[in-house]
Amino acid sequence: MTADRRASWLKGVLDLLVLASLSEGESYGYEIAKTLADAGLGQIKGGTLYPVLNRLEEAGLLATEFRAAERGPGRRYYRLTDEGRRTLEEEGARWLAFDESVRAVLTKGRSR
Amino acid sequence: MSGYFDELTARLREAGVPASRIAVTVDDLRAYLADSGGDPEEEFGPAAAFAEQLAATAGQAAGEAASGERWTWTADIFTDQQRLNEFGEQGWEVQGIDRLGRFVCTRSEEHPQRWEYRREVVPPAGRDALTERLAPDGWEPCGTWFFYAYYKRPKAALVGPEAEIASPPPQPGRRIFFSPALYGFVVVAFVAAVALGLLSLDMLDRVDDDDSSSSTLFGMLVGALSAIVAVGAIGWAAVLVERRRRRR
Repeated sequence: MTADRRASWLKGVLDLLVLASLSEGESYGYEIAKTLADAGLGQIKGGTLYPVLNRLEEAGLLATEFRAAERGPGRRYYRLTDEGRRTLEEEGARWLAFDESVRAVLTKGRSR
Repeated sequence: MSGYFDELTARLREAGVPASRIAVTVDDLRAYLADSGGDPEEEFGPAAAFAEQLAATAGQAAGEAASGERWTWTADIFTDQQRLNEFGEQGWEVQGIDRLGRFVCTRSEEHPQRWEYRREVVPPAGRDALTERLAPDGWEPCGTWFFYAYYKRPKAALVGPEAEIASPPPQPGRRIFFSPALYGFVVVAFVAAVALGLLSLDMLDRVDDDDSSSSTLFGMLVGALSAIVAVGAIGWAAVLVERRRRRR
């Protein structure tokens, strides 16, 4: 049950987390997943992460560039577009407001 | 047979596996038995232990593609990589390898996407280091079988949204994919075993008939040698096939 609940929370906010992980500059899939894992959000597998990246790219919130590597097939780098940065700011603020409301109710419930 | 599946169903229910998933799993297993013949307990082991393993696999699969299709299949080591990539192109993602050596796959209904696979020969002690080395290129471990470690990568890591499949083909009707190379190998192994048997009979004639312990020891040595030769030949043949494929 706990794992299911956590998965649902993540599903609702993963796109914002991905946008936020690119706020300081471009990155690629593995590094994005690692950033989120290091932040305590658990391991985001490729089957979950890439559909989100694809959606954000198709919505014009991310720009991509494929760079060939000396070894291996190369990597696809993602960076925020202006629209992506604006969305992160607006939707991020809405999530934080939601989080604040939830936090207030839960804190009140625990203190009774 | 139904007693076994009744117990399995009950155990899976106790483990919290959704009823719809249990029904699909039991149907899969029944179909597998229909293909292969044999007794369920011999094929899958005790129902309680098997249920525990299935529950764990179902849990992993649910996390990745709760509403997707599920399909379990197997292939020999001469053709598994080719088949994995063929089915990966159709959107099948390997979630793990079960105790029967079958690939447990799911396919997302909402956003089916293409996958690619690779197989590496690596001892268990070296798996973590290999996984760490492959991870930056998007490869994730998806199962092990003896010394073989399998890795998957979403095609989206290379081509982005183009990796999504607009209308995936239907689930394949077969579950077992054996290559002509496997049948060839079985014939060669059989001939080699017969040759070894004849050789051992010839040599036994030369051993004193009364010395049964020498005969037994000799028989054990021939048996062990046959097993080593067979296992070594399978492994070596697979390595040769893999090298040839990579050179192309």
